Amino acid sequence: MQFQNLFNFKNAKEDPQMSATEAISKTFSHSCNPPPPPKKKRNLPGTPDPEAEVIALSPRTLLASNRFVCEICGKGFQRDQNLQLHRRGHNLPWKLRQRGSKESRKRVYVCPEPACVHHNPSRALGDLTGIKKHFCRKHGEKRWKCDKCAKKYAVLSDWKAHVKTCGSREYRCDCGTLFSRRDSFITHRAFCDALAEETARVSAAVFNNITSNMDLKPTSFINVNNGDQVIVEQQQVKQRESRGVNTNSAFNNGDLYGSCSNLQQPEGQLSWAGNSTNNHGDIFSLSTTRTVKGENVFAHGSFPSLFSSLEHNPTLGSDTSATALLQKAAQVGASTIPFLGSLFKEELGGETRDFLGVGMHPSFSGWL
Amino acid sequence: MQNPPPPITSARQLDLDLDPLLSVEPAKPWAADLLRDCARAFADKDSANLHRLLWMLNELASPYGDCEQRLAYAFLQALFCRATASGDHCYSTSLAVAERAVSFASARRLALKFQEAAPWSTFGHVAANGALLQALDGEPALHIVDVSDTFCTQWPTLLEALASRADADAPRVRLTVVSSTAAGVVAEIGARIEKFARLMGVPLEFRAIAAPALPRLADALRPEKLELREGEAVAVNCVGALRRAGCGDSRDSFLRAAAALRPRVLTVVEDEADFGAAGEFMESFEECLRFYGSYFEMLEESFPATCNERLALERECFRSLVGLLACEGGADAVVDGERRERGRQWCRRLERCGFETFGISDDVIDDLKALLKRYRPGWSLLPAEGETSGMYLTWKENPVVWACAWKPK
Repeated sequence: MQFQNLFNFKNAKEDPQMSATEAISKTFSHSCNPPPPPKKKRNLPGTPDPEAEVIALSPRTLLASNRFVCEICGKGFQRDQNLQLHRRGHNLPWKLRQRGSKESRKRVYVCPEPACVHHNPSRALGDLTGIKKHFCRKHGEKRWKCDKCAKKYAVLSDWKAHVKTCGSREYRCDCGTLFSRRDSFITHRAFCDALAEETARVSAAVFNNITSNMDLKPTSFINVNNGDQVIVEQQQVKQRESRGVNTNSAFNNGDLYGSCSNLQQPEGQLSWAGNSTNNHGDIFSLSTTRTVKGENVFAHGSFPSLFSSLEHNPTLGSDTSATALLQKAAQVGASTIPFLGSLFKEELGGETRDFLGVGMHPSFSGWL
Repeated sequence: MQNPPPPITSARQLDLDLDPLLSVEPAKPWAADLLRDCARAFADKDSANLHRLLWMLNELASPYGDCEQRLAYAFLQALFCRATASGDHCYSTSLAVAERAVSFASARRLALKFQEAAPWSTFGHVAANGALLQALDGEPALHIVDVSDTFCTQWPTLLEALASRADADAPRVRLTVVSSTAAGVVAEIGARIEKFARLMGVPLEFRAIAAPALPRLADALRPEKLELREGEAVAVNCVGALRRAGCGDSRDSFLRAAAALRPRVLTVVEDEADFGAAGEFMESFEECLRFYGSYFEMLEESFPATCNERLALERECFRSLVGLLACEGGADAVVDGERRERGRQWCRRLERCGFETFGISDDVIDDLKALLKRYRPGWSLLPAEGETSGMYLTWKENPVVWACAWKPK
């Protein structure tokens, strides 16, 4: 695949500062400087540009906010241009920093926190602002707190965005009741009759769906176990464990439908067979969770007859990323899995879903 | 009282002027003074006066009126039982009826409606859950022993919080509930909580233990009864439970049994009132007046005018008052479960039984403040001071609920 050069020239101005403090590991490339693309394209997660330069910045650099400092009075600014404007007040001439004469190279940034998933160069982030926000959000001190709900944020813009909507959000239970308070909603939902009915409804729908789509490829098979656990062929069970829990005990009792109920989303669901029109809409939608930990995937143990190629694959350890697993599945049988394409779209959309089924949220964990 | 006096049929007979009290405009609070007069008549064994006052009370009280009238009605029941020495019978009958009548749907409706209207129970839940999350952070296997009277409404938010922890997978949770609620209702609650936990992606095992008879509540905490397992972090959660562990020494044995489990944390939530021993009538009476007066007023201001749930909660108070004012109790009778103690008294007990304070973080305090903001004004948080640890929920500046976290020394 041809990865385009996504280098953002704005970031280049900040290079001279970086080179003094960073430890750079370089993978050299000989790119041929294509013209700037009309639109920035995101790489698939887990498949970074092999020709990109991997930069590891220090925590101090990532957290520093006012990096352009006036030499006269020591006042700090976020942008070079603002510093220059300030310097005019000291009757100093403009002094724009040089960008550096090397050719443009795609740069990707890794997180300095060793335990972080983005510490690995294969999961590096492509944007300087992105890595700074990530580091602050995930590993920084949460200094901003919402007055109404006590939720804390490390990044000021996340906090601002939250405060705008906190309290105005409404939660609707499947039974139709509307709540303005999240805690009431959760407690209600736990005991709501609608929850009890949901699992019954889903199991019926699954069975209908399966029996009505018997024209699957020859490699597919349907295996009905114990009458209550219907296991369909590989494409079906790409469900991600919400919360990434290996719920072997919870699932071994044939509670396939318990997991289904948690994936059922009111909007934007993925169709199981790609074109099913059954009246319950779409059942096995994927819910990527806001944690997007990615490491843990699904309870292998519960679906014995599936993915014979994947299950016994020795390279799949418990810390293989979800995206890598999905890609493997894509290699295995992408042509027979119509919804995997939309699955990737889901990933790249950068949005995560609240598994409670209340709607979509931006991918950081700050919403209420 | 020896021979019952002849029946009274008119206010004139009593030489009473009821007009100021029966006038239509909102009068100033009258119930407390009238009730005190009744209590004094009891204490003085003044049967004529008592008779007169009870008659008056009967005229003015009503379970469907304003909170003064409802309060008067509640006390009337209790005082009448005391006057006729039928307290114990009345209490046990009322309890039996209530236990038979409870259903999953009614319990759920009552608990949730109350939580919507007032933070009386949610305060304790948020405080306890905060302490639990703090104490059990990082543990992969949890065992929560829940000895409470709020129908497991505390747990959905905890499960959601465990599931939402961004930096860790959800732990495996075992929830053992020690309850005196009807088995059918508890089973339904358990089934729903398990389903919800699956939805959250939290592996949950639910188990219910029928609470042993009052003074033997400590038996429920024996390790073999709880089936403790290796490697699990234990926490004990007691909401409105400590006062049900009998009286006096039985309460200590319950606490010692809890300490013996070496829990990471023991969370305690209790109503803030000192109903003492059955013997001191006037002191108990005054305290009942203060506590239930506050409670009834709170109910009136939190619920809409006509509300079945409010009536149900008030009916529970009728029974409590009968138990507190008209029963002999002692010997660890069931009625002793009504004998609440204040936070500072519980603190002394807990320290005696091998516990020390578990400090809760500022985040939990902020959560509590945020919780109170979601309700009508009148509620606030008051951290305990001096020798008493924990926090109070206050209604109009009066502490009404006390919450605190402990760990074994």
